[in-house]
Amino acid sequence: MAKRITVDVLTRVEGHGAVEVIEENGKYRAKVKIFEGPRFYEYLVVGQGFENIPRIVSRICGICYVSHRTASARAVEDAFGVELPQELEALRRLANVGAFFESHGLHIYFLALPDYFGYGSLLEMAKDYPNLVERGFKIKNGGVEIMKIIAGKNFHGENLIAGGLATLPTKDELKRIRDLLEELKEDTLETLHLVDRLNHPRLEVEREYQMAVYNPHRWCFYSDRLLLVGEGEETIFTKKEYEIFVEEEPVEYSTAKQSRVKGKPVLVGPLARVNLYRGKLSEETRRLLKEAKTVFPSANPFHQNVARAVELVEIRKMALQWVDELLSDYPKVPHVKLKPRKGRGFGVVEAPRGTLYHTYEFDENGYCTNANIITPTAVLQTSMERDAQALVELHSDKSPSELKFMVERLIRSYDPCISCSVHMFRL
Amino acid sequence: MSVNNGKKPRVGIMYFTSCGGCQCEILTLKGLLTQLVELVELAYFPMGSSNNSLEGEFDIMFIEGSVSTDHDLEMLKLAREKSKILVAVGTCACFGGVQSSKNAEASLDEMLRYVYGDKIPKIVKALKAKPLKDYVKVDYELPGCPVSGKEFALAVQYLLNRLDPFLPKMAVCYECKQSQTPCRLKGGNMCVGSISNAGCGAPCTSKGTGCYGCRGDHEDPNYKELVNLFRQKGYGDRDIYNFVKVFRGNYVREKLLPYLNLDIPEPSDQRG
Repeated sequence: MAKRITVDVLTRVEGHGAVEVIEENGKYRAKVKIFEGPRFYEYLVVGQGFENIPRIVSRICGICYVSHRTASARAVEDAFGVELPQELEALRRLANVGAFFESHGLHIYFLALPDYFGYGSLLEMAKDYPNLVERGFKIKNGGVEIMKIIAGKNFHGENLIAGGLATLPTKDELKRIRDLLEELKEDTLETLHLVDRLNHPRLEVEREYQMAVYNPHRWCFYSDRLLLVGEGEETIFTKKEYEIFVEEEPVEYSTAKQSRVKGKPVLVGPLARVNLYRGKLSEETRRLLKEAKTVFPSANPFHQNVARAVELVEIRKMALQWVDELLSDYPKVPHVKLKPRKGRGFGVVEAPRGTLYHTYEFDENGYCTNANIITPTAVLQTSMERDAQALVELHSDKSPSELKFMVERLIRSYDPCISCSVHMFRL
Repeated sequence: MSVNNGKKPRVGIMYFTSCGGCQCEILTLKGLLTQLVELVELAYFPMGSSNNSLEGEFDIMFIEGSVSTDHDLEMLKLAREKSKILVAVGTCACFGGVQSSKNAEASLDEMLRYVYGDKIPKIVKALKAKPLKDYVKVDYELPGCPVSGKEFALAVQYLLNRLDPFLPKMAVCYECKQSQTPCRLKGGNMCVGSISNAGCGAPCTSKGTGCYGCRGDHEDPNYKELVNLFRQKGYGDRDIYNFVKVFRGNYVREKLLPYLNLDIPEPSDQRG
């Protein structure tokens, strides 16, 4: 009898989606169906002045608004030929550290953990596991506080603008970030220890391609180049070439377009980043990885949760260094002046869920004439579908209700940001 | 806090087309949430829980997001039917949000074609982004992009005690004065604080940017004078329109455009 596994409404994810896995002639075919309402972001920014763009695209996503603001601000600066001084870059990266603590903390504790412990939500766990609930809030809200100090609000902080910041955080505020990061040290280590030892479902999916923003020396939030590894090759390309490598196509069963590299799925996000950067992490993080049960590189999508915890350990250390540098060499100006000119700019950043791409074209007065945004969740749809097929195939002896739960957990492990994925561009 | 003859009140948090930011804000409220799960039955909260049920009646339903699909609309009608009190949470639910910023100038068809070409997805029927109140009776509105966590917590406490949440509508200028923030408009920023509803504590102006008016209008907004002020500062009408429409797409046409010298034809789906 033909099998059909459906999850009608995905819960504990951001946005509105469903999954369906159907058996056809002994083969499984999965569809991630996204029915989030379209919001037409690329259309909304056309005609807008450049100053308004980061503010508008921030609203693509509440969870990773810092990433969208960073990518769009960098694209505007690129179009107008401006580079930020090091200390402003450091402040921008610190805002991204806050965003990662908030997003990864939210995912690990609030969205993923209840599955491993057999509860419907983290709040339901409060009676039996008060310490875990406490730590989940601490990590997530620690990130929120860092974002607020730099961006001005918990979410959609308007202080992050093209050119830098509207105003600088005070030295006392920077010291507060330093204290927060110190306070979070044990929590990040405990989180890694916990997530590493959870009982992750078995699944190995060979990846044709993995991709992340490229830095020759260390894990990074953004640069102007990308690293694509797959089919026995390592390719480094520039942000201007992104749309040559990552091709998008609309499908009828989703309001989000799907992306592929040379017709194949490409893995981005925490697992791809830790797989690709595992040799370039700090000495301490590498030592922790050596002691861990989880082995990287990993082909198991459920290890994305472990990779998130690894990233929190790594970026916390990096952030401390940036804060110290900022305290000893406090920025002189909050932002650089932007002078519009005709042209196109690109911004590529690592958002919590993976590589995020923004590009805008401007006329000579700085009004946007064309835009394109490719989000990690849009890129990951094909990986999710392929993994769901592999999962059902591998565990086909299990009951439909068990399989349904496993498929839901699999999709959740990608931490899809469905609102993000739905706002396509003109072909 | 017994509302239902000793039974725990049933509360839901639903969301339509939005960024999820209001729920992120709500999820920062550790004290409120940990108490809330003791005091109420949080029966429906898909973003935070996988145990969700829409069976039975709800005492309070909070809804984030705009109505942007036929699915959103169906859920909204169901929520209204089942809920004694329905609360719109955040700017999308109250006014339509950023996704409605071009509603005054473009038809839904133009937006869909720009984005999807001729391959328009069939999984849902898209609608022009509108606030909840365009379709059903909304009992309370908590605006903001995202919602103010403080106001949300206050509203929850008041409603559970059967009190009307008192949310005065006054200009953001008032909160700038209170926090001794210098006037951003005078300082050279575009700012619509003078027509916008305060209650946020003016975090944007205190950080040095103008207010974008995410919380909508206060009770007596003077658009004509705002346009005059902007023009005196040297801003062109196109820049004024671009700035104001970001959070006011569903009502810039009647409120702002009469004072601007811009020829923006009404979109085909708004006429008549």
